[in-house]
Amino acid sequence: MAMNDDFNELNINDGDLNDSLNLWDKIKNIMRSKSIWMLHYCTGCGAIELPPTMTSRFDMERIGMAPMATPRQADVLLITGYLSVKTLRRVIYTYEQMMDPKYVVGFGSCTLNGGIYYDSYATINKLDYYMPVDLYIAGCMPRPEAVMNGFKKLMNMIKAGEANGWKRYQNHYEDYYKPNQIRSLGEVRVKDEFHE
Amino acid sequence: MNSTNNVENIIEVLKNNFELIKTETPIKNQIAIEINEQDFQTVLSFIKNEGWRQLTLITCIDWIKENKYELAYTFMNWENSVTMVVRVKIDREEPEFKTITNLYPGAKFYERDIHEFFGVKFEGNKTSEKPLFLELWDDMPPMKKDFDPLEYSKRKYPDREYKVDFKTGEGETNG
Repeated sequence: MAMNDDFNELNINDGDLNDSLNLWDKIKNIMRSKSIWMLHYCTGCGAIELPPTMTSRFDMERIGMAPMATPRQADVLLITGYLSVKTLRRVIYTYEQMMDPKYVVGFGSCTLNGGIYYDSYATINKLDYYMPVDLYIAGCMPRPEAVMNGFKKLMNMIKAGEANGWKRYQNHYEDYYKPNQIRSLGEVRVKDEFHE
Repeated sequence: MNSTNNVENIIEVLKNNFELIKTETPIKNQIAIEINEQDFQTVLSFIKNEGWRQLTLITCIDWIKENKYELAYTFMNWENSVTMVVRVKIDREEPEFKTITNLYPGAKFYERDIHEFFGVKFEGNKTSEKPLFLELWDDMPPMKKDFDPLEYSKRKYPDREYKVDFKTGEGETNG
């Protein structure tokens, strides 16, 4: 697209991010994959798919996942649906408050390519342009079966050391994520009456 | 009390007192009147005295072909449960209007909302020019009909680029 010319597309996926893994890191990865705390922060319409996933019908806790209240204690951030520009600022705040290692899961077509909000002036079209996404779950919205399947996949990825979006965020913050955030948001700082 | 007679009586009273451009009863127990810009304050104080004390909504409609904005004020009367919509058309190029916060203080945030999404300035309401929903907005008010959201979205929020594997028409035997 002609409008992207002034920003070089950087291939952020090259380079081996696992080259410094030793035996203990691998053991830690296995343990991390067994107990995941997800941050209870929901955007858009995917929030309604999570209660059945969490409660007795599908029971997320049997595979070792539980909701957690604060970002500093959580491991995985779920972006459940369309993300408005205002929310993106708060999501970036939240993501940066989380401890390493941290993982991001994008739900539904809105985080992938804008979905039905592709022409909205208020929602973003591509989530991995602003923050690293480890896993996308397709659907509009994905049903709890797909969500559980996605979580299982995320666990396997963590065990195999493939879910290293947080390393990508550290390595490419200055040259990729930060300029992209500033391009779309103007300023990442939250500016409203309540923060004045 | 028969409510249809009631509505007709109200319209009759309004017609006797003011110059109405148009009157409608879109649904039962609802009256819509269109008035001139200069009568606006007097009509509003009249209907407030008659019992329409609750301001339900202010909204704005962009009639781009006429080059006019239409402001629609909705009021509710709890004594006879009749809803009144007061419509007034204002200039679109330099939209300015008088505030109604002196009569209905609840209009403060509606006016701020309309200023943000349509650019209408409300004289007398100082807070109406502060941003409300859109943070760091850098373009024309987005609810105007000549604002192109697709163009804005493409400029600000890049799309994912997909590889095209299949083109329509290719591989079809008889076109």
